[in-house]
Amino acid sequence: MSAAPARNVVELIGITKTFPGLVANDAINLELRAGEVHALLGENGAGKSTLMNILTGIYQPDAGEIILNGAKVRFTSPMQAIAAGIGMVHQHFKLIKAFTVAENIHLGWNETPRRVNAGELERRTTALAERFGLEVRPGARIEDLSAGEQQRVEILRVLSRGARVLILDEPTAVLTPTEATALARAVREFTASGYAVIFISHKLDEVLEIADRITVLRAGRKVATLPAVECTHARLATLMVGREIILPHSREEDAVHRPGSVVLQLSGVSTFNDQGVPALNEIDLDVRAGEIVGIAGVAGNGQRELTEVLTGIRLPTAGEVRVRGKSMNGASPAEFLQAGIGHVPEDRLRSGLAPSMAVADNAVLREYRKPPIARGPLFIPSAVRKLARRIVDDARVIVPNMRAPVRNLSGGNQQRLVARREMRVAETALVAAYPTRGLDVGAIDSMLRYLIEIRDRGVAVLLVSEELEELLSIADRVAVMFQGRIMGTFAARHAEAEQIGLLMGGHAGAMPTEVAA
Amino acid sequence: MFRFHRVESIKPWTIIATRVISVVAALALGALLFAAAGYDVPRLAGDVMRGSFDNMFALEDLGLLVSPLILTGLAAAVTLRIGLWNIGGEGQFYAGAIAATVIGLEIHADPALMLVVLGAGGFLGGALWILIPALARAYLAVDEIITTLLLNFVAILFVNYLSTGPLRDPGQAVTSATARIPYDIPTLVGDLHWGLGVAVALAIVIALILAYSRWGYEVRLAGANRFAAHYAGIPVPRRLLQTMLLSGGIAGLAGMLEVTGTVHRLQGGISNNFGYLGVMVAVLAGGQPIGVLPAAVLMGIILNGGIVLQSYGVSIYQVLALTGLILLFIAVGEQLAYYRIPHMAQRPTR
Repeated sequence: MSAAPARNVVELIGITKTFPGLVANDAINLELRAGEVHALLGENGAGKSTLMNILTGIYQPDAGEIILNGAKVRFTSPMQAIAAGIGMVHQHFKLIKAFTVAENIHLGWNETPRRVNAGELERRTTALAERFGLEVRPGARIEDLSAGEQQRVEILRVLSRGARVLILDEPTAVLTPTEATALARAVREFTASGYAVIFISHKLDEVLEIADRITVLRAGRKVATLPAVECTHARLATLMVGREIILPHSREEDAVHRPGSVVLQLSGVSTFNDQGVPALNEIDLDVRAGEIVGIAGVAGNGQRELTEVLTGIRLPTAGEVRVRGKSMNGASPAEFLQAGIGHVPEDRLRSGLAPSMAVADNAVLREYRKPPIARGPLFIPSAVRKLARRIVDDARVIVPNMRAPVRNLSGGNQQRLVARREMRVAETALVAAYPTRGLDVGAIDSMLRYLIEIRDRGVAVLLVSEELEELLSIADRVAVMFQGRIMGTFAARHAEAEQIGLLMGGHAGAMPTEVAA
Repeated sequence: MFRFHRVESIKPWTIIATRVISVVAALALGALLFAAAGYDVPRLAGDVMRGSFDNMFALEDLGLLVSPLILTGLAAAVTLRIGLWNIGGEGQFYAGAIAATVIGLEIHADPALMLVVLGAGGFLGGALWILIPALARAYLAVDEIITTLLLNFVAILFVNYLSTGPLRDPGQAVTSATARIPYDIPTLVGDLHWGLGVAVALAIVIALILAYSRWGYEVRLAGANRFAAHYAGIPVPRRLLQTMLLSGGIAGLAGMLEVTGTVHRLQGGISNNFGYLGVMVAVLAGGQPIGVLPAAVLMGIILNGGIVLQSYGVSIYQVLALTGLILLFIAVGEQLAYYRIPHMAQRPTR
C-alpha cells in the first residue's frame, strides 16, 4: 500500500515541548505521507497528545518546526491549523447533544449560510455525507445516536472544513468491534483518495491491522518509525514499554483450578440509571469464590449500574442481591463493605477518591472505622499515615508527599492506589470496573496479576472491562452485557472473540451459549 | 502577548499570601475611592487604627465585635467544610437571642447554672431555626442558600414583634426593647466579657474535632466529594443534617452571648449584621476554623473603623461596600493564584 514513497504532507522537525518538571516532547521528527495511515503508538504520558496538540495549534512548540506541503508554517491557534487543512477528531466528542446532526455540522463554520432553516441544513449535510461517503442521519439528535454514529458526525465535520490531514485520537475506544471494522473501512477509503490519517492508539492489534507505518513514542522521545509489515505484536510492545511484557496466561498455568461456592448472586435484578432510564433488566448472575467473572460489553450498557447494585451504591428496583446467601436488599455501602466486598469504581475521581484531600486521607477511606485508625470516636492521623504508607508502597505508587492532594497523582497512580485499597478490604469479593483503564502496558500486567492473586486466595472477582483480550486471558467465565441484559455467558477457554463481539453489538443472531462453570 | 498557564495545584502558603494580597489590594482600592471622594485617607486610616488599638477601651470594643464574628464565622465555616452555605447565621443568631431572653426573663435560679441553661437554650434556638432548611437539604436536596437566607427575615420581624409587643418592657423609655435579663456573662476585662474566651475555645475545639475525630473525617470527606463519601459507606444525609444543626447552634450561641454579655436585653437590630459578616469571615478564613480567628479580628477592625468613619460623615453602607470589595478580591485572587505567566527567558523549564 505504501510501496512507492509518496510525498510528505506534513513534516515535524525536532519538535520539543516542556512543561514544568516534564519534557513532553523531546526533539521529535515525524513525516506524514499522502495516502498513508500513520499510527502513533505509545503509553499514557508518552507524548502523543502533546505532539498532536502542537500540530493542531493548541500548543506552541518550544523548539522545532512544522513543514506543511513543503512550506514552513506556524499555528498560533487551532483555527489556523483547521484553515490549513489539519483536522482532529478528539477521543471525547465535541458535539452538542441537544442539536441535530445537521446543526452540529454547520456550527461555527464560516461556510454556513447566514439565513438557515432545518431543511436547508439537512440537505447540505446529506450532500456532504455523500461526498465523503459517510452515512449519517442529518435530522437525528446527537443524544439519540450510538457512539459510532457520533464519531462519523465528528469526522464529517472535520472533513467538510477542508481537512486533508485527519487525526483520530483513540477512535476505537468507544466503538463495538463491528463499528470499529466500519471505521477501518472508512479510513481506508480516505487514504485511497489521497488524504493522510494519523491514528493514535495504544491497542497493538488494531494498529497492526490498519496502519501503513507506525511511530512509537516513549517518555517524550521517538523510539522508531517502522512499516507495519515489519512489526509484530511483541516487537511493538517491547518498543513501547522498553522491556518485554508477557501477559499473564492463567488458564494454562492453572488448568485444574476449581471455584468454590456462590458468593455473589443476582437474581432478576433491575434498576434505573441516574437519568431514570432502565439500566439493568432482570439480571441473573452468579460469581463463585475463587473465580474471575468477566463482564464484556461496550461502556454504557449497564456495567456501571451492575457494579453499583453489587456494592450498595445503587438500590435495585426489582430482584435480589445476595452475598454468601444473605439477602442484601436495601443494604448500604457500609454493609457491603462489612460483608467484605471491595469496589474499584469506574470513575475513580468522581466516586472513588476525594480529589482535594490528602493521599493519606484517601488511602484509608475504607478502613478508618477500624483500629488502629479509629480509637473510639477518635481518628488518629499518625496511624493514618502509617497505613497509607503501606498501601502506597504495596501499590508502588510514587507519592512525593502523603499530605499532597490526591489529584496531584497521575491517573495511573490514582488507579493503583484505589485498586490496592480495595483489594485489602475484598475478603469476600472484588467488584472491579475497568481497573486497567489509563494504565500502561507494564502496569496492566501487574494489575492483572493482582486480580489472579486474590482469586487464588479464594476471593470472587467480577471484572468489567472493554478489553476482550484482557478478559479472555484472565477470566474464568465471561458474560456479555448489552442494553442492561446479559446476552450470554461463556467459559473463557471456549469463548471466541468474534462471537462475543457480535453479542456486544446486540446481535442476537449469535446464539448465547450457556456453559456451566 | 501574555499567555497564562494554569497550574494544577498551589501550595498552602501561596493561598495565604494570595488572601493577604487580595485584602491589601481591596483596601488600597477602597482608599483610592475615599481619596477621590475628598477624604484625607492617611488621617482616616490613622484614626481607624487608633479606634481599635489606641487604648484599653478601644481594644475592649474591638473584642466585643470580634467575639460574635468568630462564632458566626465558625457557623458558616463548618457548613463550608461539608460543602454547604449557611447564609442564615443572622436568623439563627436572633433565634438564639430570643431563646436566651425568654428563658432568662421567665426562669429564676442559680446564676451560674442559669448561664449554662441559657447557653444551651441559645444553641438549641439557633439549631431549631435551621432545622427545616437542614432537613430539606439533607433529604430532599433543596438548596440551602435560599431557605437559610429567607428565614433571616422571619427572625428579624419576629424579634421586632417580641420586643415591641409581648416582651416589651413597659418601664422603659425605649419602645422596642425587653426588660434587662437578670443574668450576665462574667467580664474578662472592663466591658469585655467571657464570650470571647468561649468563642476562641469553640474555634479550637471544632478544629480539633474536624482533624482528630471519625465524625470530622467523614464531614471533610463528604465536603470534598459527596459521591466518594457515599461510596465509603458514610451516611451523607445524616452528616449534612448534623453539620447544619451544629452551624445553626453556634450562631444561636453567638446570639445568646450578645444578649447576656453585651446588650443585656433583646431589641431589634442587635445582630449588627453579624450573621452575614460571618459568611465573609468564613470565606476569608478559607473555611478553616482556626483561620476564622484572624479573619474575625480583621472584620472587627473594619467594623470598628466604620464606627470611627461615621463620625467623618462616611455612611455605614460605604463601610459595608468595602467588605464586599474584599470578598470580591479574594474570590478573584483565589482563581488567579492558579495562573502563571511563563517567562520567555525561562523557556527550558516551561
